Amino acid sequence: MISTLSLLTLSLFAPLSSGDRLVVFAENVYTAPGNLVEDGTVTIEDGKIISVKGGTSPSGADMVAHTVTAGLVDMSFRYSTNQNTVEQSDEITANARISEMLDLHARGWERALKQGITTVAAFPYDRNVVGGMGAVLKTGGEETLEARLVKDAAFLRGAMGSLPSSGNRPSGARPGNFYARRPTTRMGVEWAWRKAFYDAWQEEHGGEAARPGRAELLAALAGKTPVFVQAWTTQDIRTTVFLAEEMAAEGMGSMRIVIDAGAEAWREIGLLTRSGAAVCLPPFSSDGRTTDGAFMSWDVAAKLNEAGVPLALSAHAGFGSGNTLAEQAAYARRGGLSFDAALAAVTSVPATLLGVSDRVGTLSKGLDADLVLWNGKPFELTTRPVGVVLNGASSTEQK
Amino acid sequence: MKTSSALLSLLFVAAAPLANAADGKLVIEAGKIVTLTGEVIENGKIVIEDGRITAIGVDVDAPWDAEHIDASGLVAYPGFVEAITSGGMDRPNENIDVAPFLDVRDSIDPVNVTFENFLRSGVTTINVQQGAACVIGARGHVVKPKGRTVEEMTVKPRAGIVLSATPKRGKSRATQAQALRGTFDELERYLNEMVTAARAGDDYAKREAMYQGREPDEESAKGRDFECSAWSVDGMKLIPRWEIDEKQAPLVSLVEGKIPAYIYCGAAMDVRVAIEVAESNGFLHKTVLVVSGDCDRAVEWIAERGVPVILTGSLTRSEIDEETDEEEEIFIPKVYADADVRFALQSSNSTTQSLAYQAARCVAHGMSREDAFRAISITPAEIIGVAKRVGSLSVGMDGNVVLYSGDPFSVEGVVQHVIIEGEAVYDRATDSRVRHLEQGEAPDNTQPMDPEADPEDEAGDGEDGDEG
Repeated sequence: MISTLSLLTLSLFAPLSSGDRLVVFAENVYTAPGNLVEDGTVTIEDGKIISVKGGTSPSGADMVAHTVTAGLVDMSFRYSTNQNTVEQSDEITANARISEMLDLHARGWERALKQGITTVAAFPYDRNVVGGMGAVLKTGGEETLEARLVKDAAFLRGAMGSLPSSGNRPSGARPGNFYARRPTTRMGVEWAWRKAFYDAWQEEHGGEAARPGRAELLAALAGKTPVFVQAWTTQDIRTTVFLAEEMAAEGMGSMRIVIDAGAEAWREIGLLTRSGAAVCLPPFSSDGRTTDGAFMSWDVAAKLNEAGVPLALSAHAGFGSGNTLAEQAAYARRGGLSFDAALAAVTSVPATLLGVSDRVGTLSKGLDADLVLWNGKPFELTTRPVGVVLNGASSTEQK
Repeated sequence: MKTSSALLSLLFVAAAPLANAADGKLVIEAGKIVTLTGEVIENGKIVIEDGRITAIGVDVDAPWDAEHIDASGLVAYPGFVEAITSGGMDRPNENIDVAPFLDVRDSIDPVNVTFENFLRSGVTTINVQQGAACVIGARGHVVKPKGRTVEEMTVKPRAGIVLSATPKRGKSRATQAQALRGTFDELERYLNEMVTAARAGDDYAKREAMYQGREPDEESAKGRDFECSAWSVDGMKLIPRWEIDEKQAPLVSLVEGKIPAYIYCGAAMDVRVAIEVAESNGFLHKTVLVVSGDCDRAVEWIAERGVPVILTGSLTRSEIDEETDEEEEIFIPKVYADADVRFALQSSNSTTQSLAYQAARCVAHGMSREDAFRAISITPAEIIGVAKRVGSLSVGMDGNVVLYSGDPFSVEGVVQHVIIEGEAVYDRATDSRVRHLEQGEAPDNTQPMDPEADPEDEAGDGEDGDEG
């Protein structure tokens, strides 16, 4: 209908029509998964969406694209892949907050923003059993916590499996160095989780003095804050679900579990459905092999979606990952996931799981104006994000 | 598809042994044929006899006794071409710095899973070369992923030599560059010494050649003039070619421009060394740069000399503008395309391991579909010197056909069948590994774990004496 590309290139660098108003036109506007508005115009004021109208024309628009979706949400943003973001003086540091350890000037934020990710969940590096509280943040804007934080202490974050104990060894006869500590095995990791919850519970009910992190653990036990547990393999997924079920059986609460990096979730569809846990998948690999020896089949996303398991995709975007979230959605489609479910898995579902769907994840009136502009139908490798709007501002204008 | 899928798979089972026969004739009736050189043919036929395409089009006569493949629901493409890889080799690198006397054919493992992966992604021609950890590597070998021995797989033997301008582990860039230059200095010295010895009536080289078990043929028994365009050796006519040492002989072919040189460049600064060595030894016209990292910064240099490139490593690169501190992402193929440098893509340069997906990413960045296809078919075929046989579909070419359902550039596009030289060598319906990859099913010939089995049954209670 129109030469969108040339218009887009022009408009991206053109000054916006007025200071705090932005009008974006696209032939296809996906306001939410399954909800396509053709020839849509999104009008933005003061960083919020004030209207989305169909059957409009591109004249008068500040930005024009083939397709517009909500800004993508990566709920497993690997903010850091080193030990600088996890407090290792204890295996359980539930009260540590990632929001207090962030470098907002690091390049990884903007890289994520450029690939269309506008909101991320960041959390401590998985070297502790329970690393602490994760936060939901925007990937652009002024480099201050006030400007970027969407929700602090949004979830308790920890890990099962071999990774939290990797490098640890028994102290033996001589007290060696720092790594001569527990846990040293998978079962030790689970023991640390269980002990943390029991201790918090007993302190509360026995009237003992509270140790740091008790409030966070109790909130997680009660299901007030979700618990994100990294569990790549079948056995770690099972361990996580069984732990939550054990706590429920003991009458200690009903946890809301999100299995993060659940590569082998395809083996445990029945268990996951029963438990009500959600799954965030790690990036797909060409040969199925992933971390911790876990095998991730290409149809895992489709299988989970079909079984009704809440599903989010992740590129593990951030520092050092070459993957993009849009590509992950494309690979999930290759495995049989529908377009709408793929869109949901990178926008509305993670926004809901993170408890920020009143701010981001869809394009509706009153929500943050976070948009991705695409040069074709998204989630194909022949298509890519060609523009991003964050809080109503075109990211090309931001530093 | 007209016939049922059951019938079709039967057909393929039948076709496989038949095609081994010398009189193998095959007709592929495809819903669409994308030849890449001519028009797209709707509802056309490809006739393959003795491994070569003998007819292609809508109204073509098929031999009465030919096998038929009904692919009316599929689209036929020429098999894609992997411009360079070290996949399928036992070990990709050799310890010796200068090893042109070696041949990768001795390292190619025909049952290596790499070749199956290539088939699955529609690649039918593969340029296998030694890895980059060398000064001058072994001679390469172009193969097709078909056959149980290297001989059966061979498309083109002794297909070029790898050189590396990027330092081998433990070397600095200066030593690497000197080692490269020094190899050709040594070659020149060696040849001059041979001439001097021959003039003095010394037959040491001949005795050495006989001692090593080499035998002359009609051609190599003769001496002939040196054909290097950059430097000369007077009196080369005195030297029967078979007497030249096994280490130096491939280098003579190189400097005489008889075989391609694949020069690895891991950084822009390596490009200068690569071009200098190729230019000063007369094989620049046969040079292909195998580039990664920030080599695209040297694009003007490359364009000026008309050297083609093979893109390995990441297709994108970040660069920080020192003035604004802005990070910019550069899509590397576009840089070469804009400078009119001929380039081929390579499959292992992202997490996808798929040539078609690499090409798809080029389309996302504004390249035409035709140009993107070219970078995984015709251009690599030209670069490795087999464009008369593979890379497009026309009469006389090898009968290498990939039958796709859907668009190869789409995540929904799937390779259903691969035909190499008229023989059906891949059928997705019988590919157990693809089911493993896609659905997690254990591949054939492996022992699946029974999830319902009680481990106690087999393990006992752990106490001695259970075995009875």
